Amino acid sequence: MPLPMRITERRVGDVTILELDGPLVVDQGETTLKTWVDRIVEEGRVNIVLDLGKVTLLDSAGIGMLVSKYLTAHRRGGRLKLLHLTLRSDYLMHVTKLFTVFEIFESEDEAIRSFGIEPSGEAR
Amino acid sequence: MAANTAPRGRILIVDDDRALCHALAALLEDAGYTVDQAGNGRDAVGRLDAGGFDVVLLDVGLPDISGLDVLAHARSVASPPIVLVMTADDTPETLLAAVRRQAHRYLRKPFAPSAVVEVIDDAMARAASAAMTIEVVSARPEWLELVAPCALDMADRIQSFVMQLDANLPDKVRENVAQAFRELLNNAIEWGGKLDSRRKVRISCVRTSRLLLYRIADPGEGFDIGKLRHAAINNPEDSPLDHALIREEQGIRPGGLGLMITRSLVDEIIYNEARNEVMFIKYL
Repeated sequence: MPLPMRITERRVGDVTILELDGPLVVDQGETTLKTWVDRIVEEGRVNIVLDLGKVTLLDSAGIGMLVSKYLTAHRRGGRLKLLHLTLRSDYLMHVTKLFTVFEIFESEDEAIRSFGIEPSGEAR
Repeated sequence: MAANTAPRGRILIVDDDRALCHALAALLEDAGYTVDQAGNGRDAVGRLDAGGFDVVLLDVGLPDISGLDVLAHARSVASPPIVLVMTADDTPETLLAAVRRQAHRYLRKPFAPSAVVEVIDDAMARAASAAMTIEVVSARPEWLELVAPCALDMADRIQSFVMQLDANLPDKVRENVAQAFRELLNNAIEWGGKLDSRRKVRISCVRTSRLLLYRIADPGEGFDIGKLRHAAINNPEDSPLDHALIREEQGIRPGGLGLMITRSLVDEIIYNEARNEVMFIKYL
């Protein structure tokens, strides 16, 4: 049974890492993600890594919200990137061809470095 | 119970396993619920008659009368509580009997007691849709047919039952069918039924030794797939974001990937002429 999605937030330099835990599906999780990303982008934190390793369920509405928030960050001069895709999430990203849009990482350090900073938080 | 807070709701746990009852009660009381316990069916019926419960956690295998009879009784009282059926008996017959008697969810034992608080929280949050009735047209394991109100919460509730019937399938097949079913059912409820709980969606699930066939009929007028510019399936080959931009322009919530995903998960998808009925088939 789907349970509510939780988000844990961390910062490394000017990169914000959001760890999602739970279902990212219509009416559950997608609205939580929207509210969270809109808030941090409003605060000027536009470089975002979404860690999807603990996403238990992902549907078209959830993927749609990832796309929507990718566009939100992009329009404010930032980037939204994905980390730790599950096998199912990875499959869905390929089926929808969105792997050509998102930068996807298997390592958090690698994701952070892609923004031009070291995992310690220092600029490279 | 947490200090200085009003009770979050009143729960009745019905199970002859006293250790489990006490463990569940302790967890729920810590979470702020008021909890009553009944160790047999007759005690449960008496407590239900007295009323006042928001949720019942009900075991099927009680020592005196069947938990399914207690379920039927719970649904007949003046203010019916939400009933979550928990049992180690996962035969299709028991599951379908629970569906017919309007169980809200079906929890297969064993489960982690700690998960129960979240399950109860979820049920309480869905109280409005939990009160809605699912009409059972056919409750044979080979042919399940349901008619349900067009409310998004219904998709979760129906899926939780339907997928229990597919529990013996290989994980990948089961996950693919579950996702396809969820995508098409949500489409039917949201687009065909306009999220109007007075309108109904009809769902049939047919199982043979060689295939699974799901049919979903919505109350809408259908659609022309070629005109769905907000659906990813109509994106140009090299522009996977086109549909998302069109949805933003038109004020449609993010999504539009359901048909594209579903086509990749099942063997055949067939629409009727109006496209307000869809069948999908997964060969086994």
